[in-house]
Amino acid sequence: MMAMANLGTRFHTMLKGRLVGRDADGRAYYESRTANRTGGGLKRHERWVIYHPGEDASAVPAEWWPWLHHMQDAPIPESARKGWQLSFKPNMTGTPAAYTPPGSAARGGRRARTTGDYEAWSPDEA
Amino acid sequence: MVKVQVDDVIVDVPPGSSALQACEAAGKEIPRFCYHERLSVAGNCRMCLVEVVRAPKPVASCGFPVGEGMIIKTDTEVVRRARRAVMEFLLINHPLDCPICDQGGECDLQDQAFGYGSGRSRYLEEKRAVVDKDLGPLVKTVMTRCIQCTRCVRFSTEIAGTPELGAVSRGESLEITNYVEKALTSELSGNLIDICPVGALTSKPYAFHARPWEMKKTDAIDVMDAVGTNIRLQARGASVMRIMPRVNDAVNEEWLADKGRFSVDGLTRRRLDTPWVRVHGKLTKVSWQDAFVAIAQRLKVVPGNRIGAIAGDLCDTESLYALRLLMESLGSANLDCRQDGAQYDVSNRAFYTFNSTIAGIEEADALLVVGAVPRHEAPVLNARIRKRFLAAGRDKFPIAYVGAPPTDPTYDYDLIGEGPSALADLLDGRHAFADVLAGAKKPMIILGHGALTRPDAQAILAACWALADKVGALTPDWHGFNVLHTAASRVAGLDLGFLPGAGGRTAAGMMSGGVDVLWLLGADEMDMHRIGPETFVIYQGHHGDAGAARADVILPGAAYTEKSGTYVNTEGRVQRSFQAVFPPGDAREDWRILRALSETLGHALPFDTLDALRARMEAEHPVLARLDTAPRFGGAGLAAPAAEGAIGSEPFHPVIADYYETNAVSRASPTMAECSRVYARPALVQAAE
Repeated sequence: MMAMANLGTRFHTMLKGRLVGRDADGRAYYESRTANRTGGGLKRHERWVIYHPGEDASAVPAEWWPWLHHMQDAPIPESARKGWQLSFKPNMTGTPAAYTPPGSAARGGRRARTTGDYEAWSPDEA
Repeated sequence: MVKVQVDDVIVDVPPGSSALQACEAAGKEIPRFCYHERLSVAGNCRMCLVEVVRAPKPVASCGFPVGEGMIIKTDTEVVRRARRAVMEFLLINHPLDCPICDQGGECDLQDQAFGYGSGRSRYLEEKRAVVDKDLGPLVKTVMTRCIQCTRCVRFSTEIAGTPELGAVSRGESLEITNYVEKALTSELSGNLIDICPVGALTSKPYAFHARPWEMKKTDAIDVMDAVGTNIRLQARGASVMRIMPRVNDAVNEEWLADKGRFSVDGLTRRRLDTPWVRVHGKLTKVSWQDAFVAIAQRLKVVPGNRIGAIAGDLCDTESLYALRLLMESLGSANLDCRQDGAQYDVSNRAFYTFNSTIAGIEEADALLVVGAVPRHEAPVLNARIRKRFLAAGRDKFPIAYVGAPPTDPTYDYDLIGEGPSALADLLDGRHAFADVLAGAKKPMIILGHGALTRPDAQAILAACWALADKVGALTPDWHGFNVLHTAASRVAGLDLGFLPGAGGRTAAGMMSGGVDVLWLLGADEMDMHRIGPETFVIYQGHHGDAGAARADVILPGAAYTEKSGTYVNTEGRVQRSFQAVFPPGDAREDWRILRALSETLGHALPFDTLDALRARMEAEHPVLARLDTAPRFGGAGLAAPAAEGAIGSEPFHPVIADYYETNAVSRASPTMAECSRVYARPALVQAAE
């Protein structure tokens, strides 16, 4: 499953890494076996993720993001999701699913009335 | 004068001044909420506390009279602590909703809390909430924000003369209210928005549209009536978002009538943004060049004396002048700026201007209004009459009307008669008011368009002049004869001689088939059906209204916010207005259109820039070069206007049927339409409900 990481990362993961878990999409999250890093004034474990092909850092779901950034000791369990929560979506910029504001040309260019608009007279209304 | 020491500065102030005025004279800024220069002193906000030496505790400076040798301290620890305490009390019940408040950025409470507000609240109890009042289509209320300064109550009682607002209950329960659910009836109600120091009274049509710091401010002149109110256009991007008054003590003090303030949304509706030409009976969009060619081809086969021009009420002086030159070069004497058919005597400027001047109303001690309804024709001027009425005291400023009985002119008046026969009574001294006028030192006569639009206008004008002469209104230092105009462009048109020349036809003559080509410069307030079907009508203007619907060629011009222009108000005061935004689409400033067309017609007008046009206009009419002044002059020794014909017997009729819809801009405005529905036609609304 470590196919997408480069050689150095694979080597590092094999030698130092301990698999902590996988998220809903199957990305693997590792922690170093020894507390080999300093952060927040403490010696602590190094944490990293192996992405799927072509992903960027925004692909890490909300459950794993705090753990990965040393904000929490453990990932948030899937069971903690509330019914009203939207499913996690990575950054879509550059893809066809990217957000476009209302009135953008990509959405047909139809926008609400704004400052500077005026209603022109035409003989039909008179 | 009384000598007062304010901090380290010694100032002389008139006796009877308040400590606050002394501090202002010394250049010290005193925070205040309830005090307003043009309203009575209430002294209930307590924000203006200062320390007076030998006074036991801080005093409210707005209501504390100065005494000789008084020492005022405006910036001591005692004063600062007192003001902080007052501010803390005010903020107890004031909501922290500045981010969603329309007053944000121009709020007195916000500004002064910056200086005297505490960073945190010590108040843990429940805040009070107040039910919002419905004050009609113009003023929005969020009464929880109200700090009970009572400026609005004093404004509506004293300035507007419609005492519809008041306070009920006491202490923490005190509420500003209009007692019954009823729209404010004043034509000056928009000024409540300006005087409210917080966001309790804000503009309803403008709610949540813009923030004050986003706007580009441009000085301009209001054209909705002939008062020439000084206004400031506030534009964001390509549209004027709101209009607010500027202070000019000689004209409008700091008030603006509702039509000038709220018709702003008419400026973005029904706009003419492209030239149109009627082809086979149907108007078609064309380019400027094609429109000019269409006009040139038509004019080629028409002799000069079969061409005519009528100017409307909103035109700037420059376009009137350019059109007059163009018509003269085409050999036409058919010019008229009086689309309502009014008649004047233009042999002397004093016969058609407001000679006492608006500020002069405050010196007058008797007033006769003939055929005018100042409350609708010039609300700001009417406020000045009311100001004089209040200042003079009971029975010291008698006012009489000749004409249709006005509905609540906001002061006491006598109705002498509804027709011109009352003038004869006054001239003969049969009516008692003749003695009142004669006994007054500075009597005033205001002649309105209810009289001047009649066929016997010249005779009525002469009769009024004779009456003014007889009662001593025309003395070397007082001119009591006044004409109250309703159209912003009228005095300019008369000054420029935009009138039928030798052998020329009047507006009525031009419409009933007197000309083959009729040029309408923003003229909409006429019965277009009276124009003959064969007449080729060219409409130059900014709104699609009656004139555009009838036109064969439409040339899109600029509204008053979109061009730099000169306007002459009813006093004859020449004022300049500046351009705030650009005309929409292909529309252009009116003088440019006329200059460009004149080139196509082969009669190029002799100027290429607005400055050159003005230089030429002012050389020809020096009176238009006298900017921003209305010189006072006496009326003695002037020849009387010529009396033509006999005075009829028909009663006077008001010229304004619906204050809120008198011109193309206000007719295009949804806000004015709503006002018209609520105020001008309440009977219809009630019937529908």
